[in-house]
Amino acid sequence: MGRHILHRLLILLPALVGVLFLCFCLMQVAPADPAVIIAGPDARPEVVAAIRKELGLDRAIPIQFVEYIGRVARGDLGRSIISNKKVSEELINTVGPTFELMVGAMLMGVPIGIALGTLAAVMRGTLTDRFIMACSVAGVSMPVFFIGLILIQYVGFKWALLPFTGREGPIWAGGLPNMILPAITLGAVLIGPIARMTRTAVLEVLGADFVRTARAKGLRESTVVISHALRNALIPVVTLIGLQAAFLLGGAVVTETMFAWPGVGRLAVGAILSSDFPTAQGAIMILALAFLLINLTVDVLYAWLDPRVQRS
Amino acid sequence: MSGETAALAGTPIDEFPPAEIPAALPGRSGVLRRLARDKVAFVASVFLALVVLLAVLAPWISPYDPYFTDLTKVMQTPDGEHWFGTDSTGRDILSRILYGTRTTLLMGLAGVLIGGVLGAVLGLLAAFYRGLDGWIMRLVDIMLAFPAILIGLAVAAIFGAGMVSVVIALVFAAVPTVARVARGAAVGVMSQEFMEAGRVVGVSDFTLLWRYLTLNCISTIFVYLTLRFGQVILIGSTLSFLGMGAQPPTAELGMMASQGRDFLFIAPHIATIPSMAIFVIVLAANLLGDALRDVLDPRLQQ
Repeated sequence: MGRHILHRLLILLPALVGVLFLCFCLMQVAPADPAVIIAGPDARPEVVAAIRKELGLDRAIPIQFVEYIGRVARGDLGRSIISNKKVSEELINTVGPTFELMVGAMLMGVPIGIALGTLAAVMRGTLTDRFIMACSVAGVSMPVFFIGLILIQYVGFKWALLPFTGREGPIWAGGLPNMILPAITLGAVLIGPIARMTRTAVLEVLGADFVRTARAKGLRESTVVISHALRNALIPVVTLIGLQAAFLLGGAVVTETMFAWPGVGRLAVGAILSSDFPTAQGAIMILALAFLLINLTVDVLYAWLDPRVQRS
Repeated sequence: MSGETAALAGTPIDEFPPAEIPAALPGRSGVLRRLARDKVAFVASVFLALVVLLAVLAPWISPYDPYFTDLTKVMQTPDGEHWFGTDSTGRDILSRILYGTRTTLLMGLAGVLIGGVLGAVLGLLAAFYRGLDGWIMRLVDIMLAFPAILIGLAVAAIFGAGMVSVVIALVFAAVPTVARVARGAAVGVMSQEFMEAGRVVGVSDFTLLWRYLTLNCISTIFVYLTLRFGQVILIGSTLSFLGMGAQPPTAELGMMASQGRDFLFIAPHIATIPSMAIFVIVLAANLLGDALRDVLDPRLQQ
């Protein structure tokens, strides 16, 4: 177990350096010279040069990179070119809503996915099974933004049932209605893969000896399916859910942009489109770190659930 | 096994973990015959063939110029004159869909082909030169840690938004998974006797690699790329939707949907029709991929 985690951490390290390097590059390609911006358009070259020296911009790239890592470690990510706010502050404000949206999406998608998958497995070969599986393929093939467009157009606009722009604060302070549509949009992506995985896993378990024993004991079919089969089928499903969490972060970028949800994804997209390099760099860094963290957690969790994994 | 988890981790969107792809393929004609017997797969392939044909023929069959704006006919709903209506600047949506499909497919194809070749080279080298194996697969593990959307954002941030950025992101997303599949297939071939025999009689590394190894793995890699195509199109058009890809006035399905978003409440068809087009293309590709996997997966044939 310890060795397994160590191995994963060792892989994480170069990935981390890679992310930092990428973000450092992002700052390098910024067309505007920070020294010129600070000095102002009419500054004499000597002044600009002095500022460059002060900022450390005249030093070799590798040294600048090390200094950059130092700054990041201190939480100094620079200031937004557009709003002049500290990037780190912007990130702190946007991480919460993104996390909230992802949890909402999971609460929406996971139970539905598991229920549909179990139903399909129990009704194997019937029309219900085929229908659920068809919906699952359709769900996987559906662009996230299409689901969002339909919901905004009908539920949000035509029927005016729920709000569809922005966030009204935390859930406990009246923010729930605003969260429902984005959470459904993002959660819908989860249903297909989870239903499919659950179906496969439950089918596999339904053929096992202990299920036959449970049936032979005369237990009710619902008890057999729910507390014997489903419970044992959940290990691969839990792993899949963890893996989907990483993917969900990608979907969150689209969902946040569509619903004007003030999260990291929307911040990143907006910053890239407006060439706000410091903000883009910070947002991409946070997203990448979140991915690495989720992957690591799932990996360790998986090894803990299924000790066979550790043999590698 | 941890490699497999990592593979899954990088492509949670991907329902076909590389490990599930059988290394050896049954006879090719058998595969095609069984595939043709599957009704869904048959319909899906005919539909995809039609889509490709329409995309290729776009310049000749489009009823209008996709870039011709007619401000007297703005946001018209579908009718006999404009089958799919017109957009916010009076351009014919049907013509733009035909051209847009062309752009979207080309983007996906470029991503899959370049990524496929690079990934295959990495995977085959890893299997052939055991000394490189650890290094290459570690690199692949690192690449797998980042999903395509994020890579797309980063590339667009550095190089600016555009089709090239999306293709680079698609390539980055394809390389690690293809490398895994290629390595898996190649390790199987490496254990065959003819590889050792070839080495014993003094065949050069290059010939061994190219004629013995690559040609024996190529069909597996190709099948895997087919399985991935739907997802690649989906990722590419999503990046375009976010504004990271094709720039106006270029017709591209994801970008057309994104532009239509501003008029969703007045003329929903402007956004809905391109989204629908992406959906049916990806659906057909995924259905074909599923059928192909079923045919190739020996466990399901019992």
